[in-house]
Amino acid sequence: MQPIDWIVLFGVLGLIVVYGVVKSKDTMSMEGFLVGNRSMPWWTVCLSIMATQASAVTFLSTPGQAFDDGMRFLQFYFGLPLAMVILCITAVPIYRKLKVFTAYEYLESRFDVKVRSLAAFFFLVLRGLSVGITVFAPSLILSTILGWRIEVTTAAIGSMVMIYTISGGSKAVSLTQKYQLMIIMGGMILAGGIAFYKIPDMSFGETFQYAGNVGKLNLVNFKFDLSDRYNIWSGLLAGLFLFLSYFGADQSQVGRYLAGASITESRLGLIFNGLLKIPMQFIILYIGILVFLFYQFNQPPLIHNRSLWDRAMKTDQAETLRSLESNNNNIFSEKRIESGRLATALRANDEQAAELSRDRIIQLEAESRGLRDRAKAEVFNATGEKVSDNDFVFINFVMTHLPHGVIGLLLAIVFSAAMSSTASELNALTSTTAVDIYKRSIITGADDRHYVLASKWITAGWALFAMAFAIWASNDENLIQRVNIVGSLFYGTLLGMFLTAFYIKYIKSNAVFIAALIGEAIVLSVWLFTDLAFLYYNFIGCAAVVGFALVIQFIMNQASSAGSRV
Amino acid sequence: MSVESPERPPAFKSWKGWYWLVLIVLIVQIIVYSLITNSF
Repeated sequence: MQPIDWIVLFGVLGLIVVYGVVKSKDTMSMEGFLVGNRSMPWWTVCLSIMATQASAVTFLSTPGQAFDDGMRFLQFYFGLPLAMVILCITAVPIYRKLKVFTAYEYLESRFDVKVRSLAAFFFLVLRGLSVGITVFAPSLILSTILGWRIEVTTAAIGSMVMIYTISGGSKAVSLTQKYQLMIIMGGMILAGGIAFYKIPDMSFGETFQYAGNVGKLNLVNFKFDLSDRYNIWSGLLAGLFLFLSYFGADQSQVGRYLAGASITESRLGLIFNGLLKIPMQFIILYIGILVFLFYQFNQPPLIHNRSLWDRAMKTDQAETLRSLESNNNNIFSEKRIESGRLATALRANDEQAAELSRDRIIQLEAESRGLRDRAKAEVFNATGEKVSDNDFVFINFVMTHLPHGVIGLLLAIVFSAAMSSTASELNALTSTTAVDIYKRSIITGADDRHYVLASKWITAGWALFAMAFAIWASNDENLIQRVNIVGSLFYGTLLGMFLTAFYIKYIKSNAVFIAALIGEAIVLSVWLFTDLAFLYYNFIGCAAVVGFALVIQFIMNQASSAGSRV
Repeated sequence: MSVESPERPPAFKSWKGWYWLVLIVLIVQIIVYSLITNSF
């Protein structure tokens, strides 16, 4: 890091925070603080939705995933456009018509206060725990890269978000996210462009040819396999339920489109998210492919997390690691020659030569992967830390191979992405705590000013909780893995409650309340006692709530009609 | 305070147009990505 990097880093972050504070200083009502006066145009809604979903880990891990596993992760998003259409037809008009602050408020008008409170409780548990991870994951990576203590990176992200979310609420969140996403995508494309520029003698079209030949363009897999996380069926079915839950029942997203100036602006925001999300993920994944191609011609490190590698090299495992590194270097030397041959053969349309080189490269890649796996095991033995190297592929490439100034910009992007998703989550936690719990059940008759002030304190409280959780979580890796799937443990049940509310007029509040508790118990049992992929939890939870609610309502009706006959 | 704008969305006569657009773009993307996958 050189002075120019620090100037760019602090300049970008400072501008975002100041812009957020200045542009939203007039938000002194609940309407202003929690839903931005419902004044946002559709493009701000759309960018805000996209920035909320794309956390720092999206921009750090997704290129690393493509580098390691190709582009099949894209299929995960195929259900998203379908979810956008369904929500535009169902949820958006209802939420807008009722002028709710939170999605859970609607459940009281449809059922009663206990169903609303249960849904708000589920949301607060899942989002309260995961906001800590939203702060923790980039804090850990940035602390590793910058050599800072994790407490410092956590406090940096948390305090910057606190400044503008407390000052300007939802409006500040939406307005800053618009520019954050523009800067993030601009910086990512710049990084991808530099990676491409550094690949010798290859046109952009030829990068597709090369990547396809070595098996990296595995975009669609039609084979139905429940144990395979990424195929078109899991994307369309499990993904549809996941995104219906996330965009329809998670206040972090509902709060974003409730800020739209009208039902039209909210709908267009969601529709354009449906149109743009998959291409955006394609671009991010393809940046990972360009980094992969760059490393076909430039020596890659055996382990991309250099801080962990350096620590391991100070232990007894150093000799073994050095030997593995030397073998990896030899493999790379041969791979570079074969890569040059493949590129030449593809350009000359020499299919026979291309096939020979391609087979050899795939073989060398497999050998290299074997060495990397052994190295990861050795590093784990040496340091006691599990190596999640995919998270470090892109950021290590940035730190090692990009020019100064751009490094500062890319680090600003990581901070910005962490801040934008954290801001939405804090705003959603605040809305739900303030409106569904505090205003509904604790202090019911105060004036607007009181609730705005309370909301600001609640935002501060959740932000401090997130930071404390992130610092605490850094000492317990198992905790992080458990918390990572907490969303899927509650989303299905939440979605079941909302689908019942939207579509099945027959079902009343007691039936859905009991069904939600049973549904949640089933999901928790599946999680504890089976190995089913967690993407399917959403479907199970949703189906259980709808199914049990129908059965319970039927039994209740029978009992009541039997009672009335007696 | 905001005022709800008219229901009619820009560019299409009804919302159905937008929904079809999203679905058609999704199908086109799946076809293009399948062609890319199968061409190597």
